[in-house]
Amino acid sequence: MIERERKLLLQRAARAFGLCGVMLAGLCLSLPGVVDADVLPSVLILLIAQAAALVMVGRSSHLGWVVLTIVLGCGALALAQLPWGQGASLALPISLAPLGAAGLAGVGMVLSEGTGRWLVWAGGTLGSSLLVATAGPTGGLVSTPAIATLASWVIMLIIGTWVTVGVQRALRRIDGIGRAHLVERQASETEAQRRQGARLLHDTVLATLTLLAHSGVGVSADALRQQAEEDAALLRQLRLGSTPMPRFSGSYSLEPVAETPLGTTLESVKNRFGRMGLDVRWHGTGQVLLPSDVLDAFLLALTESLENVRRHAGVEQADVTITETQDSLRAVITDAGAGFTPGDVTDERLGVAESIVARLRDVGGSARVFSTPGAGTTVILEVPR
Amino acid sequence: MSSSPPPEESTLGGSIRPAGARSSTRRGSPTSTHASALGSGFLGIGVAIIAALQSMLGIALFMSRAGDYPTLLPAVGAWLLLMVTFLGLTITISASGERLPDWLYFFFLAALAAVVWLDFVAIAPLDDVGRYATASISAGFVLLIIVTLRAQWEVLLATGALAIAFVIAILATTPLTPATLPAQIIVVALAVGPGLTGVLLVSGFERMLKRELDRVLVQSTVTAPRLAVGMLASEELARLDQDAEELLDAVATGRAALPLPADLSARASSLATELRLHLIEGRRETWLRHAVTESEHLGRRVAVSDPAALAGLLDSTQRDALLAALWLLASDPAASAPQRIIDVELGPLASPASEPAGSGDVTATIIPLVITVVGIKRNRVDPGVWEALDRVGRYSDSTANGRLCVDVDCAVENPVDATRPS
Repeated sequence: MIERERKLLLQRAARAFGLCGVMLAGLCLSLPGVVDADVLPSVLILLIAQAAALVMVGRSSHLGWVVLTIVLGCGALALAQLPWGQGASLALPISLAPLGAAGLAGVGMVLSEGTGRWLVWAGGTLGSSLLVATAGPTGGLVSTPAIATLASWVIMLIIGTWVTVGVQRALRRIDGIGRAHLVERQASETEAQRRQGARLLHDTVLATLTLLAHSGVGVSADALRQQAEEDAALLRQLRLGSTPMPRFSGSYSLEPVAETPLGTTLESVKNRFGRMGLDVRWHGTGQVLLPSDVLDAFLLALTESLENVRRHAGVEQADVTITETQDSLRAVITDAGAGFTPGDVTDERLGVAESIVARLRDVGGSARVFSTPGAGTTVILEVPR
Repeated sequence: MSSSPPPEESTLGGSIRPAGARSSTRRGSPTSTHASALGSGFLGIGVAIIAALQSMLGIALFMSRAGDYPTLLPAVGAWLLLMVTFLGLTITISASGERLPDWLYFFFLAALAAVVWLDFVAIAPLDDVGRYATASISAGFVLLIIVTLRAQWEVLLATGALAIAFVIAILATTPLTPATLPAQIIVVALAVGPGLTGVLLVSGFERMLKRELDRVLVQSTVTAPRLAVGMLASEELARLDQDAEELLDAVATGRAALPLPADLSARASSLATELRLHLIEGRRETWLRHAVTESEHLGRRVAVSDPAALAGLLDSTQRDALLAALWLLASDPAASAPQRIIDVELGPLASPASEPAGSGDVTATIIPLVITVVGIKRNRVDPGVWEALDRVGRYSDSTANGRLCVDVDCAVENPVDATRPS
C-alpha cells in the first residue's frame, strides 16, 4: 500500500515541478523576439499538450505518459529553434532552460526503478540536453542551459532514488514499531482481562461504593469502615499484580494460579447476602478444588442467581445444594418465592444471558432455570471439574 | 498496614523519566514521534548531495566567467563563506544527531544572507543579475539542508526572503528588456524552486510514513480476540480501580467522616457507575471498533454499527481484507474531493432456519455486512478495494443517490457463540 503512495508522491512532485517548468518556459518564449513569431503558436500548442501529458503523469503510473511528455517537450525544444541555423535571439537558450531542466527533467523523479525506466531516463536526458545545447549562441555544445538541463535530470534521478530507498528504510523501522505495538496491545489486553476477571472483587467493591454513594446511611459506621478497609486492601493487591479472592475470614487468597478451594469462598458469598437480608443455607460439599477460571465463573453465576432471588422472589431464604460427581460440580439454587413463567421474562431482565449463561459456557458449563408462578424457582448450574 | 500511602505510582513515574532528561527522551504516542526517527533524516543526506552537486556546477560557472568581474574579491568571499557554512552545518547536524537549535539556525541564516549579499555586491557592476548570479543561487540549495529539521513555514519564509532579495537586486541593477528578462525570471524561479520542491516532497514523505505507521499500528487489531478491551480501556479501568481504592482507603482510615459528605458520596456514585460500565461494556467492543477509534485515518471518516459484535467472528484473513478495503476507501485521491463518509453495518444475522439443514458437517454462518460510502463515484473506487472485499466474502454493489452501497456476505465457519442461546 505504501508502495502506491510513494509512487503517487513522486508522480505528483514530478507533475508539479514539470508544470512549473513548462509555464515558465511558455512565459519566457512568449516575450517578443525570443522565438520566431510564425513558430510561436505551434510551440505554445506543443507546450500545452506537454502540460496535459504531465497532468496524466501525476495520475497514472503508466510509463507511456512519461514518454509522451518527453516526446512533446523535445518537439517543443526543436520547434522553438526554427528556422535552423539563423542567428537566434540571445535569450532563446536561457528561455529553453526551464523547459529542459524542469518541464522535461521533472519526470526523472519517476524513472528511478527498472531497466526500462532507466532507458527512458537516459533517452530523455540525452535528447533534451542536446536540443537545449543546439540553441546555444556559440554553436558549440557546451552552454549553461544545456549543463543545467543535464544536472537537473541527474538531480531528479537522485530524488527518485532517495525517496524510494528512504521509504524502504522507514518501512523497516515502522515494522519494528508495529511489532512492539502488537506485543503492547496483547499485554494491555491481558492486564484488562485480569482486572475484569476479578469480578468477585469488583462485585464487593461496587456494593461498598453503592453504600457510600448513599453516604453510608443505614449501615453502622464501624461495619462500613471495616468493609472499606477490606475492599481497599483487595484493590491494592490487584494493582500490585495478584488476583485476590475475597474470603470470609478477612485474609485473602493470593494464589493467582491453578486451583482454589471453593468452600471458603462460598462462605464469603453467604456473608454478603446475609448482610443484604437474604439468608442462604448451604447443603452438601464444603471443599472442592476448581481451576480458578471455572471457580470464578461458577461463583459469578451463583451470586447472580442469588441476587435474582433476593430481588424478585420476595423471600428471605434460599437454599443452595452443592453436589459433585466424578467430572462435574453442580449447584441447585431453590427458593419458595413468587416464581415466574420462564417464557414471560426476558433474558435481559434476569441478567441471565450475558452474566450467567455466557460466562458458564466459556468454561464449558451450563445453566437451567425452572419456575412456575407461585411455586418458587430452581436454578441448576453445572461446571466441569 | 492498610493506611500506608500508595507511593508506587510516583516512583514508577520517576523511574521512567529521569529528572534531568527533558524533551530528548520524551515521546508521545508512536504517531507523534518526530519524523526524523522515521527516515526523513536520511532524506537530509540526499538533499546535501544535491546541494553539493549544484554548488560544484555553480563554482564551475563562476570560474568560467571570472574574467568578466571587475573585482573578484566579494564573489570569492561569497563562495568561501558558502562552502564553510555548508560543511560546518553538515558536520554539526550529523554530529549532533539531526537537530538544529535555534541559535545555530539563525547563525546559519545570517551566514547565507551574507553570501547572497556578497554575491550581489560582486555582480552589481555587471548589470545582469540573472546571468551572473552564482553563489546566491547555490545559497538557495544549501538552505534546503534544513528542510527536514525545521518547520515548513520557516523554510518557506527563508525561501521567500531569498526571492525578494533577488527581485530587489534585479530591479536595482538590471535593465529589463525582452533579451534580459528570461534570465531574470529564471533566476528568481531558481531561488524559489528548491525550497518549494523540498517542502513539498518532505511533507509528502512524512505524511505518507505517518499514515503507514497508523496503518501498521491498527493492523495489530486483526489478531485481537473476538471481544477485546482495547488499549485505552485497560488504562481507564486501572485508573478507576485506583480512584476507588483511594476513596475506600479514606473511609477506612477515617479521613472521610461517616456519614459521608455530599461531594464524596457523589464521587462514590459516579465511580460505581463508571466502573460498572467499564466492566460490562469494555468486553463488548470488537477489533473493528478499536481499529476505527485508534486510527487517525479511519476515525475521521468511518462509522461502525455492530450491535451484536459480529465483526469479532471474522477470521484474521477477513479482518485484514476488510481493514484494507476500508483503508483504501477512506483515503482521498485529492484533497479537494467532497467529504467522504463511510458507514459499516454488520448484522443482523439471518435466522438459522433459512440455512439448508444437513448440508455438511461444517456449519457456515453468513454475516451480512453493508458498507455505505457517501461522496465517491463507483468508477473512482480503487480496484484494490474490490480485491480486498473479495477476500472478505461474496459482494454485490449498487449506487443510488450519490452513495455507493456494497453488500458483503461474510461466511464464518462454525461460530460456536455466534447465535444467542435460545
